[in-house]
Amino acid sequence: MSATANRALWQKNPILAWRELDGEIVIISPNNSVLHELNETASFVWKQLDGRRSGAEIATSLAAQYDVKPEDALGDIETLVEELASRQLLVPADNPSTERTE
Amino acid sequence: MSASHATLGQSSGQQFELSIGRVPLRLNVSDARVFSEASERYQAFATSQEQPFAVYLMNSFSANGGNPEFAYDFEAQQAALRAFSRESQFVGANNPYTLDCLLRILLTWMLLPRAGFLLHAATVVRDGRAYLFTGKSGAGKSTVASLATEGSVLTDELSLIRREDGVWRAYGTPFWGEFRAGDLNVSAPIAGVFRLMQEENNRVTPLRSVELLRAMIGNVLFFSRQPADSQRLLNIISHAAQELRGYTLEFRKDRTFWEALPA
Repeated sequence: MSATANRALWQKNPILAWRELDGEIVIISPNNSVLHELNETASFVWKQLDGRRSGAEIATSLAAQYDVKPEDALGDIETLVEELASRQLLVPADNPSTERTE
Repeated sequence: MSASHATLGQSSGQQFELSIGRVPLRLNVSDARVFSEASERYQAFATSQEQPFAVYLMNSFSANGGNPEFAYDFEAQQAALRAFSRESQFVGANNPYTLDCLLRILLTWMLLPRAGFLLHAATVVRDGRAYLFTGKSGAGKSTVASLATEGSVLTDELSLIRREDGVWRAYGTPFWGEFRAGDLNVSAPIAGVFRLMQEENNRVTPLRSVELLRAMIGNVLFFSRQPADSQRLLNIISHAAQELRGYTLEFRKDRTFWEALPA
């Protein structure tokens, strides 16, 4: 498991704007106006990345929602978190109070 | 208020009132040449409305006891704007080009609470409805506009979109390509937004909401770096993407593309 995925808690980057459209999350960064789109399962995970819930907790929810094994769900979440963090869409939850609720 | 009706302000020079997309502004200009050029350039948008938002053209920013709600430094022109709740200050707007740029930038911010935004798009009115053709430079906006009936083009470069009484409308703007000034201060309900692609044959393909959102996001004019402003903009454009009909328009450079557009 990578160092990124090993971090315990992640939260959405508070500078981002995001919203759900047709069941999918779209995100824009005010720094470059790049639009990021998440598919259905990634959108499900995104909404739960609040700086408080761990990957394992989210994996349990994802497994229940989509009828997959929790260990498979956790692996997918770790991959997703790493990708989102590399795009600076997620930041470490050093200050969970900054989490914005949609 | 048109140039011929301009009045001399008490301390800030001459005033010129205009309205772009039903956003009322009052320019306060001390430089006689800039005033003359501005009042001529925006003559078609001159109006007099209740409580216009004051815009002061200044040599340096004046302290007014608060932080601006929106600020932008236009470094290429050595100009800047600071916007507050009741007024805006422009510094360096000593020529028509810079003033026009700062007005565009200010409008992007002022449209947020009005459920509006500026989109790189040509707007053509046909049968009372506005057709918006969006795309980057070279996509064909001015080409489409040049193929439209005279007097039906609200802009060939920068469209102003607002949702009013549940209806999305496109407004004429003074912002045209090659720094020409528009002269149609009217609006029309939007029939559709078309993402332009120049091809050999005409073809229209519907866009899903998220595809229309993507098409518009890439062509929106926006300058605020405030997360709250970005969220408001995204909400507005997402709303538009859900309620407006969007299409990809492959078109060739003649008037036949109109026949391919949905009724």
